[in-house]
This record gives sequence, C-alpha cells and structure tokens, in this order.
Amino acid sequence: MQKFVSVTLALLFAAPALAQVPKGYPASYQKTIDEARKEKKLVVYSSTDQASAQFLIDDFKTLYPFIEVEYNDIGTTQLYSRFISEAAAGGKSADFVWSSGMELQVKLAADGYALPYTSPEAKFYPASSKLDNILYGTTMEPGVLVYNKRFVKKPPTTRQEFAKLLADPKMNGKVATWDPEKSGIGFTFLHQDSVTVGSIMDLFKAFGKSGTAQYSSSGVMMEKVISGEHHFGYNVIGSYALLRAEKVPDIGVAFFKDKTVAFQRPAFISKLGEHPNAAKLFLDYLLSTRGQNVMANKSLIYALRSGTTGPAVPKNIYGKIGGKQNLYVIPVSRDLLKNLEPAVRNDFLNDWRTALKGQ
Amino acid sequence: MTGRSSQMQSKAEQPALKLKPAYWGILLTCVVAVLVLSPLGLLAYQSLLSAPFFAPIKQVSLDAYRYVLTDPAFYRALFNSFVIALGMVGIAVPAGTALAFLVNKTDLPFRKGFELLLLTPTFVSPIILGIGFTMVFGPVGLVSNPVRDLFGTVPWTIYSLPAIAIIAGLLHVPYVYLYVSSTIRNLDASLEEAARVSGAGIWTVAMSVTIPLVRPSVVYSAMLMLLLGFEIFGLPLVLGDSKGIDVITTYLYRLTGITGVPAYGPMAVVAVLLIAVALLIVALQRKILGNTGNKYTSVGAKGYRSARLKLGKARWWIAAAVMVYLLVTVLLPVFGVILRSFVTSWGAGVNLLDVLTLKNYQAIFTLPDLSRGVTNTLLVASVGGFIAVGVYLTIASGILRSTPFLRKVLDYLSGLPRSVPGLIIGLAFMWLFLFVKPIGFLRTTLFSLILAYTIVWMPYGVRLLTATLMQISKDLEEAARMTGASPLKAFQSITLPLLQSGLLSAWLLLFMQFVREYSTGVYLLTPGTEVMGSLIVSLWATGAVDSIAALSTLQIGIIGVVYILANRLGVKAGE
Repeated sequence: MQKFVSVTLALLFAAPALAQVPKGYPASYQKTIDEARKEKKLVVYSSTDQASAQFLIDDFKTLYPFIEVEYNDIGTTQLYSRFISEAAAGGKSADFVWSSGMELQVKLAADGYALPYTSPEAKFYPASSKLDNILYGTTMEPGVLVYNKRFVKKPPTTRQEFAKLLADPKMNGKVATWDPEKSGIGFTFLHQDSVTVGSIMDLFKAFGKSGTAQYSSSGVMMEKVISGEHHFGYNVIGSYALLRAEKVPDIGVAFFKDKTVAFQRPAFISKLGEHPNAAKLFLDYLLSTRGQNVMANKSLIYALRSGTTGPAVPKNIYGKIGGKQNLYVIPVSRDLLKNLEPAVRNDFLNDWRTALKGQ
Repeated sequence: MTGRSSQMQSKAEQPALKLKPAYWGILLTCVVAVLVLSPLGLLAYQSLLSAPFFAPIKQVSLDAYRYVLTDPAFYRALFNSFVIALGMVGIAVPAGTALAFLVNKTDLPFRKGFELLLLTPTFVSPIILGIGFTMVFGPVGLVSNPVRDLFGTVPWTIYSLPAIAIIAGLLHVPYVYLYVSSTIRNLDASLEEAARVSGAGIWTVAMSVTIPLVRPSVVYSAMLMLLLGFEIFGLPLVLGDSKGIDVITTYLYRLTGITGVPAYGPMAVVAVLLIAVALLIVALQRKILGNTGNKYTSVGAKGYRSARLKLGKARWWIAAAVMVYLLVTVLLPVFGVILRSFVTSWGAGVNLLDVLTLKNYQAIFTLPDLSRGVTNTLLVASVGGFIAVGVYLTIASGILRSTPFLRKVLDYLSGLPRSVPGLIIGLAFMWLFLFVKPIGFLRTTLFSLILAYTIVWMPYGVRLLTATLMQISKDLEEAARMTGASPLKAFQSITLPLLQSGLLSAWLLLFMQFVREYSTGVYLLTPGTEVMGSLIVSLWATGAVDSIAALSTLQIGIIGVVYILANRLGVKAGE
C-alpha cells in the first residue's frame, strides 16, 4: 500500500514535467521524446537573432523542460564555416542548424550533412518548403520597403512608382539597399528581384542615378532610415523591420504590389549532432502551429504555416500586395545551388554594376 | 654564439653566466615561433590550395593568388588602406607625442583630466565610435543639423576616404600618447632641467632633449600605426560601407559575397599579403632604430624627479586646443553613443525628449548570454591581460637581451600577428583548436580567447614593453649580478620595481584592448564563452543598433571605472 501511494505520488508530481505526444502525432513519437529525455541537451547553430529566438526556446522548454538548449547565434557565413570545419575535423557539431542563408543551407543538406527525418508536421507544408525529408523551410520573410514616416507620407507601391520618385533630384542619396557583392542575403533578394520583377532594371538604374547607398548589414540600413539620413531602405528583411517598427514609431514598413520576394529560413537536423532526438522535437516544434504562432506573435519572424494568426503572418501581407499571387516565396530546392555558381553570380553582379552606372 | 653574445654583455660579467641567457633565448624564440607561426602558417598553407585545407580533394595551386592579384577591387582596397595608414601616422604620431610631452612634462592645466579623457577611444569599439561619429557629424548629425540650419549646408562629409583617414588618425592619438608617455615618465629630467636652466625655451627643450630621448618609442608607435592602419576594420566598415569604400579587411566581405561560399583561398592570400606588409614594416623599423643596444637608456642609478616645465601664457591656449580635440574626437562621439542607448530614434525633426527610453537596456538584460558576456569579458581582460603582460615582458626582454640573431627573429615574429584581420586569424585559431587534437579541449573554454588575444595583440604589447624595458639600464642589473645575485634575482629586485608603473600601464592598456576586442572572438564564441565585443559583432548583423549602443555604454562604463581605479592605484604604486 505504502509503495502504491509513493508511486502514485511520484507519478502525480512528475506529471507536469512529463511531455506528452502532441495531438495527431503517431504513438511511436513517445520513443523520440524518451530518447530526447536521455539526451538532455540540444545544440543549435542559428543566424536568428537571439532576442527573437529566445521566445521560441522558452516556449519549447515549457513543453520539454528536460532539454537544455544551447543556442549559438552566429552569422550565416560564419555558421557555414564553423559547421563544415567541425565536420571535417571529425568532431561533433550542432544538432540543429537553422539559418537564413538559404543557398548555404541547401548546400549543407545536399552535401549530406542533414539527417533524413519526416516530420509529422511536414504534411501541413507545401512541396516548395521541403527538400526531400532533409531540409524544411520554417518562415516566410519578405523583402520590404522601410521608410521614415517623418519624411515619407505615402510610400510607393510598385517598382516603377519608386523609380519615378527617385528621379527627383531631392531624392539624391536618400535610398539605402544591400550591397549584393558583400552580403549573401542581399544577393539572394536582389538577384531574385531580377528574375521575378519585370521592371526591376529601371529601378536599379534609378538607384544608380540617385546615388543609392549600399550596405552589407540590414542594421545600419535601418539605423540610417531611422535617423532620416536615408528616407527609404529597399529589400530590408521584413521580420527585422517589423521588430524595429514596433519600437520606433517613425519607421514605416511597405510592400510592393508588383511582386514581393520572400525567403524561407531553412532548418535541418545535423548528422554530426549528439542529440538527434532533441533536434527532432525542436524541428517539429518550429513547424507546429504552436511554434509558428510564437513566431507570428512574439518573435515577429514571419510564420510560414497557413492558418497561423498574428501580426507576422503571410495573410497580412496578401492584403497589402493585392493578393497571394503577388508574393514570390523562394522555394527550398536544389535549384538554389545554381546561385553559388560563379557564372550565375557574376552575370547578375555585372548587370547590377552596369545598371548602377546608369547604363 | 657565446662569442657573439659576449660582445653584447658587459666585460665585468662572469663567463659562466653567458650560456644561460643564450639557451633561454633559443627556447623563448622557439615558443614564440610556434605560437605565432601556427595560425599564420596555416593561412599560408591554405593560400596555396585549390580547396579548403581540410577538404578531401585539393591541389596545390596559385589560383587564389591569381584571383586576388588580378582583382581591381583588391588594389582599390589596398590603396585605401595605405591612405588610412598614412593618415594615422601623419596625425596620430605628432599629436600623440606632443600630448605626451605636454601632459607629462609641463604645467598644462587640467592635465589629469585630459589624460583620463584622452584614453577613451582606446577602449570603445571602433564600430561604436563610427556610429558615434555618424550621430554627431553624419549628414543628419547632432552637430551637422544646426550647422545646416545656420549656413544652409554642411561643409564636410564623414563618408569619404580622406575623412576616414583623418578620423582614424585622430582616434589613434591615444595609442601614441601612451607609448610615448610611458617612456617620457621615466626619463631622467635632469637633462631637460639643464637645458631649461641654460636658457632654452620649452620648444627647444622638447625638440632637442625630450623627443630625441623618446625616439625609439616614437618610431615604434609610428610602425604600430602603420600595422594597425592596414588592419583597421570597424571604422571603415561603418563609415565606408554606404559608399563602397573598402579597405583590405572589409574587402574580405566582398570576396565571400562574390563567391557565395566562404572563399578561404583568396582570404588566406589577403592574409599572406598583409603578413608581407607587416614584415616590411618591421624591417623598416629595425632599419630606422638600428641595433639599439643601450643607446637610449636613461633611467639609470640617478634620481629622475623634477619640476614641470612652465608653459607660461601659452598654457591656456594649448589647453583650449586640447579641449577642442577632445570634444571633437572623444566627448561628442561618445556622448552620441550614450545618447543613442537611451533613445529609440534620432535625427532631423526628432525631439529627443519624446523618444527617451530604458528599453534598450531592458532588452539586453533579457538575453541570457549577456550577463555571462560581461563576466567573461572581465575575466578574459583581467586574467588574460595579466598573462599577456608576462608573455610580452618575456619576449621584450628576449629582444633586448639575447643574441643579435635571436633578437632579429623575435622582432619579426612578434611584429606579425596583428597584421592579419581579426576575423581571419580567429578562423585560423578555430581550425587549430579543431584539427590539433591535443589542444582541442581548450576551444570551448575562455582560455582559447586568452590565447588568441595574447597572440593577436603581441605586436602592440611587445612594443609597449620593449619601449619601457629599453629605458632600464642594464648597468643596475649587472651590478646586482656582480654582487652575486642570480639573473632572476637581479631582474626581480632591480628591474621589476623600476618597471612597475610601466607594467601597470601595460596591463591596463591590454585590459582595455581585450575588453573591446571583437573580431578575433567571433569564431571562438560558444555558449558560455561569450564576450561583449563579439556579441556586438553578432548583433551588428541583424541590426540591433539599440542593443549595440546599450552594450557599448556598459562597456565604456566598465572600463572607465576600472581605469580610474587602476589609475588611483597606479599613482600610489609609483609614489
């Protein structure tokens, strides 16, 4: 009897900490949870700002309190370097890799570093957000036009309108954008523009004529729009812009109706990790409605999953750009590897340079 | 070897004592060679390969050299670095030397306060000072806006190559100041007094007595300015970015941006070329200084305290000029950064009172890695600084006291590390920790940072301690050894006490450098070993200038407090 009581009590007290198989998941998922419990730890390499990611980590820990999350906030290029170096040294590396450098993520997964895993959440995502069962898009982050409300009352809604606006000599030096020769994300955005947006070269030429400033970091771009040194920041990552606009009332965020390009932040479970089951739980969490809701409402990185509600969801953008058809989400696919070919890069960069010279 | 070294030693010495320093010198040289050449050698090796050195398939190839040496962007960047380095030598060396003389040797008013303020740029990250300059003198800056209202235009820009060179020059004045003043402080003032008594004016005393006596430290600091000029990163990153003004270190971003994946080969080539530049600079320095055995010794067995030279009426004018310098280079930009940490936005048309906030600090303190970052930074800077002083002192005495050949080797070796951009050498260190298994366990400890920082700042530290050590005459130590003291005992009881204030200021300077060091740690950052400087770099990428400003204000506060404390202690220790 006494034994029974103590066992019951122990179970009662343990109950809140006992992670349950999420609804709709196969019963066998309990095994993954149990294994993760033994692993105790999860090592994440990520380019997502720790301030944003912290909400997700905290929420994840309420589900699985027995997992200690070691979160490494590193830039996309450094992340890639660190990962392949660790792989080559034959040592252990991250369990989970989550980066906005789409091309680099596809390359790592395609080069065989990702552990195949079919997430129970995968069926809720379109094919363009999955690369086989090794790499998953987790967010949908648009390139936006950031503007300073003190100087701009009505932001342009198409590239042509924007280019026309820039013809005004008063706009000289008032626009900031990426330097695609110096920033990976900048290249991805501007290059995709050149493929997707019809009238883009006119805008690039207008950039050249109006002395557009080119930056290697979105932070400086936004800072200089905040100060009014520039009135517009073109193709700033939407999630960071939204986060800033929340704090700085002067910042406005606008979208283009003639196609808005968005990237996905792909994630994979690493073959080099020591805690693959904890990594599975984290991937499933990020893809789950619960995780996506935290992204949409707290982290303010745009959620990808349809049906998610909150300020940072695709639905909110559709309205502003005149419908879903005007949003182009770069697919998670092997096609992205082409962007790493010298010929493709050089061709675009040459076009870009020529356009900026006004030719 | 014994024969050669005996020429260097005093005749009074016992033959038995000669061998030991020679062996000691060889051992020291070997250790320094391993420390310095392992990361640099790895980069040199990488520069000759067609793929990452750890890739299974790779070939020896000169392609990376071909790529860099035919890239017009590389030559533009090289030229820009050269202009900036020249600006630093041309501005920082004369201004720093003059300030060192004025503060230490004359009755300049407010000199204590000046000295405190003067050092600020050495402990604020250049990225932050760049932001500070933008806030104050940028197109919509706190100074620029009223100027535009008044004159209709702002007659300057800070986003141009000459502007960056001038600002870099102004910001490096304190480095020269510190080198020269640690030497000036130890000078035998009776020489200056003699000149003064015999009727020489203050200018004549400075030019004909003081400056020649401190010439080695002036030359050393000029060479350091050249080295740092080629390595400078944060300032051109902030001020040159928008206009595409690249220097050698920011050109590295372009290399990776163009290939899409990290371009290890070309990056290593740039590192090798910078090492070559550093070798040239060290050779130049050796040529200018020659074999300065004990030519410049001036702290002898004599007293060296004296009255300050009187500036007369000019003192107020000079003080005013120093104040303007401090206002423009230090006070306003630092004020800008601190202000930035307390507002959400700024610029034309913003009433700063409306946007005041403490949220930037709140945001920082919600990040779990920050408090660790602060304690780690303090640990690395204080303990690491202490270790580094020991290492540099050993190398400096090796340079001054071993055979001419070893001295030369040590001179070259210790001059190299800072020539390679922090980001690349940090990468090389990560590789060493990964691929050299016996030291692998260090990678996730703070010791990896201490080791990397100690090696990276070697040119700075060794020059600092060489300049200090050079002034202690060997006569005293040798006298002690004639009376039977061991070399160690002689060093401990004679040289070390004389060095005390020099060592303290060296520790302090290294403490500051280690606190603000940022790029070297980026690849060595792991949860648990975060440091503030590298956190700033990772925040920079996503754009949290708010948090960066708040972090930097904390950084300024920490170092300010430590500096004032140490200054107090230092004054007492010297009495």
